[in-house]
Amino acid sequence: MTYSFLHSFQSEWLKRKRSLASWMVVLGSFFTPSIIILARVIYHDKLATLYATPEFWKMLWHSSWESMAIFLLPLGVILATSLITQLEYKNNTWKQLHTLPLAYPTVFFSKLLVIITMMLQFFILFNIGIYLSALIPYLVISGVPYPKNPIPYWDFLKEDALFFIDCLPILALQYLMSLQFKNFLAGVGIGFLLWIGSISALSWKYGYVVPYSYTMYFYLQGNSQAKIGHTTANIHLWALGYFVVFIIVGYLLYLNKKEKG
Amino acid sequence: MYCLETKDLTYRFSSDEIALDHINLQVNEGSIYGFLGPNGAGKTTTLRLILGLLKKQQGDISIFGKPFASNRVDILKKIGSLIESPSIYGHLTARENLLVLQKVQQCPKSRIGKVLELVGLSHTGTKKAGQFSLGMKQRLSIAMALLHDPTLLILDEPTNGLDPNGILEVRELLKRLNQEKSITIVISSHLLAEIEKLVTHIGIINKGKMLFQGTLEALKNKQQQSQAIIFDTNDASKTAQIIVENHLEANLLDGKTIMSAASKDRIAQINQQLVNNGVEVYEISVVKNDLEMIFMDLINN
Repeated sequence: MTYSFLHSFQSEWLKRKRSLASWMVVLGSFFTPSIIILARVIYHDKLATLYATPEFWKMLWHSSWESMAIFLLPLGVILATSLITQLEYKNNTWKQLHTLPLAYPTVFFSKLLVIITMMLQFFILFNIGIYLSALIPYLVISGVPYPKNPIPYWDFLKEDALFFIDCLPILALQYLMSLQFKNFLAGVGIGFLLWIGSISALSWKYGYVVPYSYTMYFYLQGNSQAKIGHTTANIHLWALGYFVVFIIVGYLLYLNKKEKG
Repeated sequence: MYCLETKDLTYRFSSDEIALDHINLQVNEGSIYGFLGPNGAGKTTTLRLILGLLKKQQGDISIFGKPFASNRVDILKKIGSLIESPSIYGHLTARENLLVLQKVQQCPKSRIGKVLELVGLSHTGTKKAGQFSLGMKQRLSIAMALLHDPTLLILDEPTNGLDPNGILEVRELLKRLNQEKSITIVISSHLLAEIEKLVTHIGIINKGKMLFQGTLEALKNKQQQSQAIIFDTNDASKTAQIIVENHLEANLLDGKTIMSAASKDRIAQINQQLVNNGVEVYEISVVKNDLEMIFMDLINN
């Protein structure tokens, strides 16, 4: 079972090669850092002061995550997850996959692990991108000092981990839907609606029950000016709870599908 | 023991639409079983049920003597399949498509080159499978089915999209695999002529019911039994009356009289009687009752 899972994962990992989803991971992770680099090159006259600020790394981290937490990460997860399962529909390969000597749990969880690994890949590349967005202006623009204070690695890694947990419910629900709907637009459409619903519900005191809201909540929680509903609930636990529930429901629905290709 | 056997396999897509009605498929080990029927007869549904792609509703499926449901993974290790249209990843090359399967089946990597050569696709290099012609895609699908050296091959209309030369090549390849490696092959088609030169056994299905199952020889015997003579005369009913008086069966069809098979002497004798009774005989012919006619006859009745 363990070996067949590993082999199945290798096989699934190979399928994403050159796929739109894998390109999205690379392009999406470097999108915000690229914009930051561009903005800093354009407004280079203010950079010397900015780079000398003791809070430089935290400010960079915060501005990098702004668009990521609210827009790019939820939308990216919606699209990438749907695109991975769409590979099977588009190529008419579910029947091929389900006639391989693999147990159904192996098929379900190895594909899920590929999506989770791609998300991890995205986080790693995004972190590299953030660092490059600090380094490149320093290297190309004269007079810009290297930030004095060390990078707060542990704080950033902890936040990375929490953001990662916060987008797991999106990933799980999109995975569930993409296995049920042959039509790519159905799952993506519902995902977009839920994302819009999450934004609308942010100011509501129970807004945290919407499963697509946790990356936004986490980002905005520390911002006193943000209009979000005050909650004492542990949103990360909620995210994990939703993830587990969606995965179990998704697996049962997948297992009981009348047609498997 | 059969290599593949179904017992009373019944399937409904909805309560009022029966797709398969008590199908008892029996495939002998080492045989090439032609599964024939017109489009929509239930061939693909049967094969999808056998491979577990459709959830079984009623009946039993056993492969290699074991129930499929409880031995799915072990059984699938020994099966190569191609169901309907090609199942390939368009963004990957032919080699990469095979590598995707090789990872799961854990067969030697050298098999990839061998099967690509076998189906004539070793020259495709970095070309994406999505850019292949339908015939090339079909050949790649056959290569994928053969990659792990299966004991049982289940092929649903594998020659779809192939040119006449390609059809011939696939036919020869399957014959060779059957003879040299004793691979049991189940091959479905809606054209008898396409597979009659290949198969050892035949199953004919129509509207979800099995109409015939047996060896090719048994089907050919049916051909001899059902040969008939056609009399084209100016008076069909009088012709039929004379034939019946000779203790032979006669039917009228399109103004002609169809008589059951008889010896040349009897035919001459009846002809003589028709002339003596003032019936003008324009033509006497033997019905060209080849396998295709029997097939058509079976599915039309």
